[in-house]
Amino acid sequence: MDGFTACLGKAYPQCCRPELTENIPRKKEVAESKLNIVVAGAGLIGRLLAWRLSKKGHQITLFESGSLKHPAGACQTAAGMISPLSELFHCPLPIYQLGMQSLQYWPQWAQQLELATGVSVDYRQAGSILIAHPQDRSELLQFQQELNAKLGPEKSGQLQWLDRNALQNLEPELSGFERGLYLASEADIDNRKLLPALLHALEVNNVQLREQTPVECRPGEILTGNRTEKFDLVLDTRGLGARSQIAGLRGVRGEVMVVETAEVTLNRPVRLLHPRYQLYAVPRANNQTVIGATEIESDDMSPISLRSTMELSSALYSIHPAFAEARIIKTRVNCRPATMDNMPVVESRPGLIRINGLFRHGYLLAPALAAQAEREIDTLTQTTEQVT
Amino acid sequence: MADKLTLYGKEFDSRLLVGTALYPSPAIMREAVAASGAQIITLSLRRQSPAQQQGKILWDYIQESGCQLLPNTAGCKTPKEVIALAEMSREIFGTDWLKLEVIGDDYNLQPDPFGLVEAARELLKRGFRVLPYCTDDLVVCRKLLDVGCEVLMPWGSPIGTGRGLMNKYNLRTLRERLPDTPLIIDAGIGAPSQACEAMEMGFDGVLLNTAIARAQNPVLMAEAFRLAIESGRAARNAGLMLQRQTASPSTPTLDMPFWQQTINSGEES
Repeated sequence: MDGFTACLGKAYPQCCRPELTENIPRKKEVAESKLNIVVAGAGLIGRLLAWRLSKKGHQITLFESGSLKHPAGACQTAAGMISPLSELFHCPLPIYQLGMQSLQYWPQWAQQLELATGVSVDYRQAGSILIAHPQDRSELLQFQQELNAKLGPEKSGQLQWLDRNALQNLEPELSGFERGLYLASEADIDNRKLLPALLHALEVNNVQLREQTPVECRPGEILTGNRTEKFDLVLDTRGLGARSQIAGLRGVRGEVMVVETAEVTLNRPVRLLHPRYQLYAVPRANNQTVIGATEIESDDMSPISLRSTMELSSALYSIHPAFAEARIIKTRVNCRPATMDNMPVVESRPGLIRINGLFRHGYLLAPALAAQAEREIDTLTQTTEQVT
Repeated sequence: MADKLTLYGKEFDSRLLVGTALYPSPAIMREAVAASGAQIITLSLRRQSPAQQQGKILWDYIQESGCQLLPNTAGCKTPKEVIALAEMSREIFGTDWLKLEVIGDDYNLQPDPFGLVEAARELLKRGFRVLPYCTDDLVVCRKLLDVGCEVLMPWGSPIGTGRGLMNKYNLRTLRERLPDTPLIIDAGIGAPSQACEAMEMGFDGVLLNTAIARAQNPVLMAEAFRLAIESGRAARNAGLMLQRQTASPSTPTLDMPFWQQTINSGEES
């Protein structure tokens, strides 16, 4: 286990190793430096990899068990937050470290996509704000204490206390709150724009798209029904679809709502801290706000429960009473693929790389993990060039 | 000397009961449970659509700990909801042990004493071993014993607050008036010192979740609670000295007449 290998279990830090040198899947006799690669699973990480690798001239085939236009995975349900600091509250340090790497990639990748497709993906780096009601103020202090302990004093400057005035300067609608925490480096992206943009970019790059086709992944080959197809490299990014291949992979239910009102305008993601409920509100175009998200230990895709709707709506209402007249545009439910340690899995062997278990951190982790895979494949290409 | 905790005829070495929610990950939860030495662990089913068993992979993972499972009815507000969930838990986990929760107030999650007694009566009739999460009210506790509960779990303070033993007068009364009933402090414990104090006061065990699960290092905190509870129990068994009004030297002060010493020591008060 080294290099770009499994980080199931204890080997967390390997996930975030910036340089990858060993255990490269070797293809002995490839005549060209361009590989014939299959990506199985057109969720966020699958699309990113297919796009990045096709840009480099590799021949890419993308399989999806469902529809490409209407992805069934968690990527479609998420709120698209890229918030390494907020997530560090309940996560180990490697999640933060990978997230900080992703924050480096996103602006450039978003721009490249917009240029390639002519469609905006609404990448926004305006930070995020944490608030709590007066009776729950200790939650903010607990947050600060936790981050200081995990990051050390020199990095805790990334957290900025806001008094009433400072808070109102950033978010005039949060006038009911005396103080807040500002995490200036955090960002978000509109996943509902990003996913179609990526698909568009794949079409432009002549990626072979095969939807409604469930596959099984093996080193150097995939199985579709009874047929086996050979490739130089298989990238398995099927999320919960790869359940049988990844020990302890489970679905964690999440529920979100989309509401619409012109009466309250937020400028960036806002999180309301509470001892039991966690609410985020992410403003989107057209006066819409995505609110979420529950986290229920159940692989359950049934519609949102009444209780969750009430919890999410009342938390939102408590941020600003004008949300009471917001219209509920949509409710969405999905299951996040997670391992028992809630860390991503990156498994590499000759001819096959599996990336999975991004849990509630898809948009936070995907670019960093995709870039790692890309670097590994670059090394592989160089190696095969030397072989031939 | 064997110092076992006996609940419904089953003996346990550990007097710490822990919850399985709110941990950073299932893996850390299981490590923390092991570090706590707990032999009884609670788990919640309410929101996980138990009928479809969609949380099964996690339940199996929890079950591998080998502890006595104590499914709870967290989130239920009426005896009817409780009974439906209890029956489902019994079927899924193959245990008739149940931590009975009937919530009477949404904000502080205070138990509903009336629903509690009603639900306990029915569950005991159905063969459950009921461990009710109740307030520290003596009369409610007695009613629960009357319907057949063999263990009571009064709160220290509201769930998740970490405020420790809020009403020590009531808790002491419970201990004194119900000397033969196993009493486990459930909820509100935030620090090992508070758990230790509960044990020193003579409670038979402590059940907690948030203080461990939300610690920066849950595994280390679990160990801290294990030590605190062992320490408090040992202190109780050893017999605590009584507090005195003033500091009193343990050897006579030579330069003071003995009658003066008696007056000053305050021991007669």
